[in-house]
Amino acid sequence: MTLRFEDLAPGMQIPPLAKVVTREDVEAYARASGDDNPLHLDEGFARSVGFPGVIAHGMFTMAHLASCLVAWLGDATALKRLRAQFRAPVFMGETIVATGTVRSLDPETHRAVLEVWVTVERDGVTEYPIKRSEAEIQLG
Amino acid sequence: MPLNAELEGKAYPAISFTVDEDHVRRFAEAIGDDGTLVPPTFATVPEILSGLDRVVADEDLGMDFTRVVHGDEEFEWRRPVRVGEALRVQTVIESIRVKGSHEFLVLRTDMDDEDGGTVVVARSTMIVRGGS
Repeated sequence: MTLRFEDLAPGMQIPPLAKVVTREDVEAYARASGDDNPLHLDEGFARSVGFPGVIAHGMFTMAHLASCLVAWLGDATALKRLRAQFRAPVFMGETIVATGTVRSLDPETHRAVLEVWVTVERDGVTEYPIKRSEAEIQLG
Repeated sequence: MPLNAELEGKAYPAISFTVDEDHVRRFAEAIGDDGTLVPPTFATVPEILSGLDRVVADEDLGMDFTRVVHGDEEFEWRRPVRVGEALRVQTVIESIRVKGSHEFLVLRTDMDDEDGGTVVVARSTMIVRGGS
């Protein structure tokens, strides 16, 4: 099922997509992406630089945000641009939730600008591992 | 030790990156995708090889990798990346800036196909955290 440009309206919410971040996934991501910074793999190192434990790669969280958008779009090729501003760490076992809203539409080009973000609930506070950032899509 | 701001504008020699089917599958599995298409953020793989790995190893730049966090990432996809294709990947140090005790290194990576067409443009901001 592929989203059509006609289906969009400003303010529309993108269905949230939740994911539990596991150590296994982060280790697999480190191997597959080539980013083997010990901050994501080595508890002792992470603590030595001031974190309570290892954190997920920002790019791991961004990949989840892209998956959320592609699931909604029904077509990975509709995603034209995605920016992620990483502003909070994600620890192992936490649940990240990606979502966003439609900000503006261009009927001429069938492009739309989205506001997108990723949250995590920690100690009763909503943190933003990816703060409100921008994406651009183009639909048929 | 601060970054060597004179390296602003430095272009690293382009590399060739072939999009390997098994590599795409492992990346897709790690992020929970089914792998029927190349995940959009798979572009981080050639970007790291061309950019991050090079700046970390660049003794002229003097970047302490143990103090680096990823601040910002942007991908612009001109067309989807295809399994089996070879990309020409080149990274330029776009800017080096100091803000307070932190330094910001912005890398721009262009990924082009064999016909010279742009496939992906990536822009990555690395933050070198100051001593506290």
